Amino acid sequence: MRVLVIDPDPARAALVAEGLAGVQPLEVRRAAVFDEREAAAFAPDVVVVAADSPDRDTLESLREAGVHNPRPVVMFVDRSEPGLAEQAVRAGVAAYVVDGLAPGRVRSILDVAMSRFALTQQLRGDLAKAKADLESRKTVERAKGLLMKERGLDEDGAYRLLRKLAMDRGKPIGSVAADLLAFAGVLKGDAS
Amino acid sequence: MSGLADLTLGFIPLTDCAPLIVAKAQGFFAEEGLEVALSREASWATIRDKVSVGALDGAHMLAPMALAEDGLLAPMALNQNGSAVTVSTKLAAMLREIDPDGMAAPLITAAPLARLVAHLAEQGAPPLTFAVVFPQSMHNYALRYWLAQAGIDPDRDVRLVVTPPPRMVEHLRSGAIDGFWVGAPWNAVAVDEGLGEVLIKASQLWPGGPDKVFGVTEAWAQRHPGELRAALRGLIRASAWADEPGNHAELVALLSRPDHVGVEPEAVARALRSEIVFHRDAAGLPRREHALWFLSQMVRWGQVESDLDLEAVADRVYRPDLFRAAALSLGPVLDPAQVFEDAAPVAAALYEGPAFDAADARGYAAAFAVGRVSAS
Repeated sequence: MRVLVIDPDPARAALVAEGLAGVQPLEVRRAAVFDEREAAAFAPDVVVVAADSPDRDTLESLREAGVHNPRPVVMFVDRSEPGLAEQAVRAGVAAYVVDGLAPGRVRSILDVAMSRFALTQQLRGDLAKAKADLESRKTVERAKGLLMKERGLDEDGAYRLLRKLAMDRGKPIGSVAADLLAFAGVLKGDAS
Repeated sequence: MSGLADLTLGFIPLTDCAPLIVAKAQGFFAEEGLEVALSREASWATIRDKVSVGALDGAHMLAPMALAEDGLLAPMALNQNGSAVTVSTKLAAMLREIDPDGMAAPLITAAPLARLVAHLAEQGAPPLTFAVVFPQSMHNYALRYWLAQAGIDPDRDVRLVVTPPPRMVEHLRSGAIDGFWVGAPWNAVAVDEGLGEVLIKASQLWPGGPDKVFGVTEAWAQRHPGELRAALRGLIRASAWADEPGNHAELVALLSRPDHVGVEPEAVARALRSEIVFHRDAAGLPRREHALWFLSQMVRWGQVESDLDLEAVADRVYRPDLFRAAALSLGPVLDPAQVFEDAAPVAAALYEGPAFDAADARGYAAAFAVGRVSAS
């Protein structure tokens, strides 16, 4: 397990390491400030940061962009601000710890954070795929319409022609449909 | 005694937090019966979260952040202009070498940078890195706009990262970034330390363009209409005070204090002299056209769902009615005409690019050659 602790104070990294004693293999690294390249090179399984760290904006932007190996983020929150932790979870933090970190709880918190993060990632992936499928279906419908109009085919005939084109070229039907629409646009003088 | 609740308001160390600092220091909040505590925060995400959960009653906020988060309102704009793009002295020298004429132009477009980016790509060099303060910020949209107008795709041809404003200068010094788009005073700080050069200012990209707002939650505004109006009155008077050239020396001293922005007075003074507008030209009015411009850029760069009702979001978050009511109630203290001067709808007059039509923000978003949406 690789844990990156972003904190100017070494005490928190020490606590995390203590709480994870016995986990093998284990590497806990502490950095005073978040550095994207350093973090990418280290490839942590989880990032631990304080709620009042200036690095939160950077971590949040990485998660939003969904690139650069997004990692679950665990946040430390001061008890004096009730509700802040829940809001942070809404904004995408995977788990949080209020106040004093007991070494005995470290392991379970990080485990929860990682599994919740994995679930969120999977849901996001499913959603993106569902959207892409829908988009592809729309494209196929439009290509069918074009073939029906230009070639005088019925709906079934248009679909069979598209499927044949796809098989001949070894490409997905959605992609053939998109090509067809793009070329039709060019032929009609729509060069963009 | 006034019957109003005590308020805690958050700010980020930037010159444009001035209305909050001034309203407290000059007693404008107190005269409205408000006891206000100011809390300096470390990140925009913390500002947003603390306002959302009520740990802060209101805050200095990035205007697009208020639009992107559920349940926030922007009843007042805090400033126009003030940010700029600064590049490292090393990058500036490379740009001057590759395109001396472009770098000597009165308005420096990203054309010299486009040539350098192409040249570096040919050589197989790693992409240049630029920092902005938050994904939903005028700074991010301004930098992307400027790059894309010269044909640089901000997501493919360069690397964009997020860095909190007070860290920008140290990252430029360490070479972690080659340039940034950030608010005052951090551009001036980089220049004064001999680390960077300003290429274009927000006031050149979009004269009178929007930037920060005062943000509260919708729920808080409903529960505390009296406090909100009092806070807006205090902020409006503070903005008018901050615009007065006669008050600038005092304003600079106030802002440079370590518990406020905490930089050299000269760096704070620079943007105040010629750039930032707090009050005149109805700068405080949260304009629907500005909200829709921000939303158009969220569409352009793929930050929002394609079926989001942009006009509904703009009308829910931007509340010029609350600003107007507070400003008009100040009648005897402040000439309302001053607040409403030029308050008719404004055009988004950017230095180049398609004309902005607030009635068709999506069409505008699709009209750019570089972007994540097409006109289909």
